Amino acid sequence: MSTVSSARPAGALYWPVQARRNIGVRSLFLVVLAFLIAYGFLFPGLFSASGFAKFTQSWFPLALVAMAQAILMLTGGISLAIGPTVSLGAVIAATTMAGPLGVTGGAAAVALTGLGIGAATGFIVVRLRLPAIVVTLAGSFIIGGAALLILPRPGGAIPEWLSDLLAGDTPTAFVLLVAIVLLWKLYLATPLGLSLYAAGENPVGAYRSGVPVDAARVAAYAISGLLSTGAGLFVAAQTGSGDPVIGAAFTLNSIAAAVLGGIGFLGGQGTMRGALAGSLLLSLMISVMFFLGFTPVAQYVAQGLIIIGAVAIPQFRKVQ
Amino acid sequence: MAPLLAARGVSKSFFGNPVLRDVSIALQPGRVHALLGENGAGKSTLINLLSGALRPDGGTIEVDGRAVARMTPALARQAGIAVVQQELSLTASLSIAENIGLGAYPKRFGLVDYSALAARAKAACELVGLHEPLSTPVGQLPLGRRQMVEIAKALYRKPRVLILDEPTSSLSATETKILTDLLERLRSEGIAILYISHRLNEVMKLCHHVTVLKDGICTADRSLEGTDAAGLVRLMVGRDPGDLFPQWRPSPSPATAISVRDFSAGLMRDVDLDIRTGEVLGIGGLVGQGQEDLLLGLYGAIPARTASATVNGAPGLPGGVPRANALGLAYVPADRKREGLHLIHTITTNMMLPAFARLPALKLRSRRAERETARGLATQLGIKGDLARQAQALSGGNQQKVALAKWMPHDPLVLLLNDPTRGVDVETKREIYLMLRAFAAAGKAVVLLSSDTPELVHLCERVAVVREGRIAAMLERAALSEEAIVSAAMGAENRKVAA
Repeated sequence: MSTVSSARPAGALYWPVQARRNIGVRSLFLVVLAFLIAYGFLFPGLFSASGFAKFTQSWFPLALVAMAQAILMLTGGISLAIGPTVSLGAVIAATTMAGPLGVTGGAAAVALTGLGIGAATGFIVVRLRLPAIVVTLAGSFIIGGAALLILPRPGGAIPEWLSDLLAGDTPTAFVLLVAIVLLWKLYLATPLGLSLYAAGENPVGAYRSGVPVDAARVAAYAISGLLSTGAGLFVAAQTGSGDPVIGAAFTLNSIAAAVLGGIGFLGGQGTMRGALAGSLLLSLMISVMFFLGFTPVAQYVAQGLIIIGAVAIPQFRKVQ
Repeated sequence: MAPLLAARGVSKSFFGNPVLRDVSIALQPGRVHALLGENGAGKSTLINLLSGALRPDGGTIEVDGRAVARMTPALARQAGIAVVQQELSLTASLSIAENIGLGAYPKRFGLVDYSALAARAKAACELVGLHEPLSTPVGQLPLGRRQMVEIAKALYRKPRVLILDEPTSSLSATETKILTDLLERLRSEGIAILYISHRLNEVMKLCHHVTVLKDGICTADRSLEGTDAAGLVRLMVGRDPGDLFPQWRPSPSPATAISVRDFSAGLMRDVDLDIRTGEVLGIGGLVGQGQEDLLLGLYGAIPARTASATVNGAPGLPGGVPRANALGLAYVPADRKREGLHLIHTITTNMMLPAFARLPALKLRSRRAERETARGLATQLGIKGDLARQAQALSGGNQQKVALAKWMPHDPLVLLLNDPTRGVDVETKREIYLMLRAFAAAGKAVVLLSSDTPELVHLCERVAVVREGRIAAMLERAALSEEAIVSAAMGAENRKVAA
């Protein structure tokens, strides 16, 4: 009996698997493309070097927090502390980088804080078996409080050359984003990374199969924390200083972006490319509505309606 | 030769309830060993002990003739023990290959080695006749193919002992054939196989040795040679009922309460059924064959279709719970904690819940009337103690009584009961049995879905045995016996069916 699989060399598995994952997000990619074209018409400057740089810079922090949220939602968790963690990252960057620690030391402090907060949160959620939504809600008060303690009012400084590098006229943000996506692909190609899906969707089955479910989940929280404080560093570089509440909007926007990108709340459903597309769509929506002259209130309402629509459409398809 | 894997005199209790008592089993290389028993006989517990998912209260687990002090799933895997569980351990969003290798990926430079994974997964897939591309997400496969992935996943680890828990329940005839051929081949290669199935014909064909469990006790451990299906069924059933069951009396002049033709709901397909007043109609069969869907479909809690139906004189199915209640139907679910009761609310509130739907929406509640009704019901059903306590303070048996009691003020004409005595103590069981017979004697129709075969034999006028979504047999009172029910449930061919 001739078979489909034997017609192909056994080694070609990785790319077909990747291609299969695109199927679920194809229509989303089309919508993003449509918005990109609309944006290009409204703002032709997008196609100049600095226009492109500015555009990716406005998207970049949202992309990071969308990833931070998506990785948790894939494990069946969620975080309400993303915004405060972004603020804390910004505050630490603004208070350390211009001081004796320098840029390298400051970046290390930002990274370690993110990893530490994430790992601690993950440990509490996973080992004490507490609901993630409650733990991260409590965490959001603690982390937000810590940011205010470090910098009670906007201040601090980011070295000018770093601000220019990250938020100037160069496409550094885009290059960084590509690098982060590649690192994510690499992580997902490790046994621990791939276990994320199994641990999120079918933890009992995964445990019985020998998957280190707890380790996979704690690692996800740590990575999520790192991405959040990293976004904070970038936001601080954009503004040139630190603001202890600058991240507030990111908590809900990160969830919105992940949901738009097709990440399910039950764990194991969705893809990171979907979440990234979702964050791009959200970012584009905000810009397009701004250029169309929507008032901020109308923007929020439209944003909410679009998110509900995006979540409802697949449900309608299922019913039919 | 020492058995590859064995249990010696193992016992296990859950919450003081013995599930296994002094059971021994030895899995020899090159032999297919059948494990038989009714629902709740302790088969799954025994598998969990053998695979380290649970630890025995007494007795030992031995690998290669040496006792293992503390068996864990990890140790079992190292010892080459693979289990194909009934509930699947697959991840829908991962591909076939990624699922097969899960927990044991080949690695290169710390990354999953997709080439090696593809080669090894392909070898395992070919054994079970899976020809879908390895990159197919498992979520896109039908249930039977997923079961084959699950088996391929076990084979991928090159096991010495293979335990299969009802592997064929979702397989097609072709897939079953592939599996039985495969098991025959693995056996000839010296692998020890433990095979759990409710299909006796399959067991007779495939297996060489059988262990039969009944109520947690081993009733047979012998070669299958010279044994027939009827003999195996006898080993699984038979329990001394004592005076647990009330005297059975024929019901007075039955009339039709519910009549459906070509009824389909959930797993159930094309059912013709008449439910008569004054009778207890039993619904039997192995767990999960669609029995619950039959009750829920009649009750209007899940979508149902039918060619024609009358329910207490009204044409058509209720189609929704409020309408079903109005037509005199009441449903008592199996899962008291989740569906039957609101555990953190008081006993009185729980008893009043169905009444709220009938009261005018804007009328004030009369606490006093509620208390009095609740007190009356409690006396009637023998529920003792303060009715202002939370329902979760009650024992399982008393919770079940509350779940029943709440329908009483509405005088239902048809009671649909989903396994009402599961996890209930003997005394309460007897009270519930008396109530059911009393309902029937009062001219109501009682539909009793039960996983307890003696209960069906002793309480029911007729028993519909459900198998794979259809009524496999409708047994009349004269033909009712545990053997007849179990034979029909397992599809043994030498059954006697009364029309």
